[in-house]
Amino acid sequence: MPAGHQETSRAGALGKPWGTIGAFLLPSLLIYAAFTAYPAVRTIWNSFHRVLPRSDEAVGLANYAELMRDDIFWRSVRNTITWACMSPLIEVSVALLLALALYAKVPGARFFRIAWFTPVLMSYVVVGILWLWIYNFDWGPVNVALRALGLASWARAWLGDPKTALASLIFVTSWMWVGFNMVVLLAALHSLPREVLEAAELDNCGWGGKLVYVILPLLRATLLNLVVLSFIGKMKIFDLVWITTKGNPLWATETVSTYVYKRAFEWTTFDLGYPSTIAALWFVIVLAAVLTLTWLFRLREKLEY
Amino acid sequence: MAAAKRAALLLVLCLYTAFAAGPFVWAAMLSLRTTTEIHRNHFAPPNPAHWDKFAEAWFTSNYAVYFTNSTQVVVSAVVILTVVGSMAAHCLARYRFRLNRVIYFVLFSTIIFPPQITIISLFQILVQYGLYNSKLGLTLVYVAIQLPLTIYILESFFARIPSDLFDAARIDGYSDWEIFWRVSLPIALPAVATTVILNFILLWNEFLYAVVLITEEANRTLPLGIQRFIGDTQEDVGMIATGLMIAIIPVVVIYAFFSERLIQGMTAGAVK
Amino acid sequence: MAVVTLDKLTKFYERGQVPAADAVSLEVNHGEFVVLLGPSGCGKTTTLRMIAGLEPISSGALSIDGRVVNNVPAKDRDIAMVFQSYALYPHMNVADNLAFGLKRRSVDRAEIARRVAAVADTLGLGGLLERKPHALSGGQRQRVALGRAIVRDPKVFLFDEPLSNLDASLRVSTRGEIGKLHRRLGATMIYVTHDQVEAMTLGQRICIMNGGRVVQVGAPLEVYKHPANTFVASFLGNPPMNLVPARITQSNGRLLVKVGAHLFELAAGRYPALTAGAEVTLGIRPEHIATATNAAEDGRFASIDAEVVQVEALGAETIVTARVAGVASELFARLGPDPDTVVGERRAFLLDRYAIHLFDAAGVRIPAHAAEA
Repeated sequence: MPAGHQETSRAGALGKPWGTIGAFLLPSLLIYAAFTAYPAVRTIWNSFHRVLPRSDEAVGLANYAELMRDDIFWRSVRNTITWACMSPLIEVSVALLLALALYAKVPGARFFRIAWFTPVLMSYVVVGILWLWIYNFDWGPVNVALRALGLASWARAWLGDPKTALASLIFVTSWMWVGFNMVVLLAALHSLPREVLEAAELDNCGWGGKLVYVILPLLRATLLNLVVLSFIGKMKIFDLVWITTKGNPLWATETVSTYVYKRAFEWTTFDLGYPSTIAALWFVIVLAAVLTLTWLFRLREKLEY
Repeated sequence: MAAAKRAALLLVLCLYTAFAAGPFVWAAMLSLRTTTEIHRNHFAPPNPAHWDKFAEAWFTSNYAVYFTNSTQVVVSAVVILTVVGSMAAHCLARYRFRLNRVIYFVLFSTIIFPPQITIISLFQILVQYGLYNSKLGLTLVYVAIQLPLTIYILESFFARIPSDLFDAARIDGYSDWEIFWRVSLPIALPAVATTVILNFILLWNEFLYAVVLITEEANRTLPLGIQRFIGDTQEDVGMIATGLMIAIIPVVVIYAFFSERLIQGMTAGAVK
Repeated sequence: MAVVTLDKLTKFYERGQVPAADAVSLEVNHGEFVVLLGPSGCGKTTTLRMIAGLEPISSGALSIDGRVVNNVPAKDRDIAMVFQSYALYPHMNVADNLAFGLKRRSVDRAEIARRVAAVADTLGLGGLLERKPHALSGGQRQRVALGRAIVRDPKVFLFDEPLSNLDASLRVSTRGEIGKLHRRLGATMIYVTHDQVEAMTLGQRICIMNGGRVVQVGAPLEVYKHPANTFVASFLGNPPMNLVPARITQSNGRLLVKVGAHLFELAAGRYPALTAGAEVTLGIRPEHIATATNAAEDGRFASIDAEVVQVEALGAETIVTARVAGVASELFARLGPDPDTVVGERRAFLLDRYAIHLFDAAGVRIPAHAAEA
């Protein structure tokens, strides 16, 4: 039993109140079983079959073998992992800078905090459409501004050019999530023990010294947390890609999730087995990546105060 | 801090604010202009502001249907989530039994599941039980996907309630259900409010499950409706912008009243 | 060591509000141990933080060794501070915590090692150097905090209620350590506390503050025996000084004081400034009240009748609470170890006339000539 959790009902002579426990937990467990656990298991089962509208045919590891040879799949994996690695770097570092700026008691901190958090609240659909317009070749603000600044040669079809499409999308998610990370880091900064910072002040630490020797080390746990959260989020990304590029041009922005969707619902093969295979393998990859990340970080995270 | 440094910092922060909020301000402006006006100059402020476009979007472009569907699905899902989730959270937080932490871990770990692992089978299952393309089916799925987060937030809150209160209630003769209903829930109301707001926003914006599980126009939720617009009337920027504004109104309203609670709810657990 | 001079230091947190520190003036001499004592919110911590440079000074001048340091940043004042919560760097071990300030001041490596070893030795931290703060007990953390200040060899040591987070027994032993430290180093130390025992035992001079102002400064016993006003009188001493309203009357050229239903003479010639008709507050410390089995009034003691309300036998002494007719508050008396008194009894209590303090209507002490033996 974790610390802080206290017994509500006395076991007494009657033993554990299983009836009550069951009653409280049953609805959740049923829903979980029916709509999460069972489907997950079934998807894995699917992955060993060809699943056609009227029949299922066991094919053993054939789907997996095909998956290994599937260039599009591996392209999508590369895209997704690139996304999942670049995003945390950008999002967390920019957010840290902004949080430090607000922490320095700039006037209007409350206003900034609320304003910067808004992108996170909007549906990816809304965000996707907005940025389709922003990236528009003819009249989107990005290209218009570039042309106005005399940099017309830099103006391009950001989402239409295979070389820039993925980066452009990564920029969009950064735009969304920097605000979120910033809010978390600001809260973490405010929870730093004030007296430790004052002690550093007396120990001849200016702003730079305090940052390097006190603030960053004490923020490490939160920073790593945000990195992991961002990583997981980008491994799952679907909505933004679907609205803006649908994986185009030429698989430049194809992610695992869009590929699964296409194979399951848009390709004319009607076979749900193969996309299930993709899903199952991806599930394992994500799990492994998360476990590795947390294990790596936990090794160095022995901070307690 | 030197005044010049402070001014420079402020400038940077204002620039960033323009960057963060700019797109929405632009969209708001676009929503009040007709498409012809927009194509003349994409960045001019609305002059005059065509408020009637909102009515037009609502009535002639099926937004009313999408909005209603979203409301029905999301509100139902949130209600069920709150009841079912708080019951489970209360149980996990306050009763000792061997499987307690196992169950908690199992429920909580699904947060890292990529949706693909369940979505294909969900499609099959809903078709099998005739829930495909139905608001009921989508509602149940929505409950399932938000359950882990809800239980996580509520469980830690319930666990912090001092057990003296429960002992006192027990001595006063309350039954287990009454204790949940009359002691746990009222005290945990702030956390419950947080999960309600959080779930509402996340589900209101939800797209992937909706796009897979709903294909009929009459049952489309708002994100689906907007997406269809893009396909349909690609160049009617003005009308799409108006639609976007309609879609984000509930979110903006909630944010206006509950910004603090919403921010805290969404960022809880990330601060260590 | 250094001379620290506070000249009317004032701190406003908000314009137009009551200042947290109001025209605080104090001179701390070379190697002196001064305690700032007062209830919470009296401005003692604010004053300390202004001395440290952690709080900007609204008005007034702060000088260290004759040099005005109002605008000198904290790190350049050559001051070390021991914080209430110790403020150890949680992510560094004890050795690094001790060395950090020196490293930041580019002190030579060998010198740092030497100083850290010396301090660790003095404070008994030798075996703990590799540990992180979270693996230390409260008392150990406190010693590291002390060590961190000592290792810097500063001009002035500042202490912000360093013992308040320790449990009772540790507090006593650490108090002794701090006292020993001062005797050994002979450094200038300014110590903030709300605990009068710490103040009385550690301070060479105590500065009592209330409401942001300095109320009285002096050697501990001096302040104890001659409190400047009713606030100081009741702040020092446990149980606190008995304070009752009284009125001065005159009879046959002698001044009498009327307490409740009792009337007795004051020591002759002791209060030159006193006049008849004055409304005063009469103060007498519990240890200056005795009991006698017969109501004997002699030159030294005035007798007062009271009903015993409570008897607390503490072993080494007995605290007796009594109610005097006509007086609203109860009287505390500190008697010997054997309580020959029971609740409900009516006894005569003897007040030492030469230990009576009189305070005027504003609570200010009415000057008195020294007691005659």
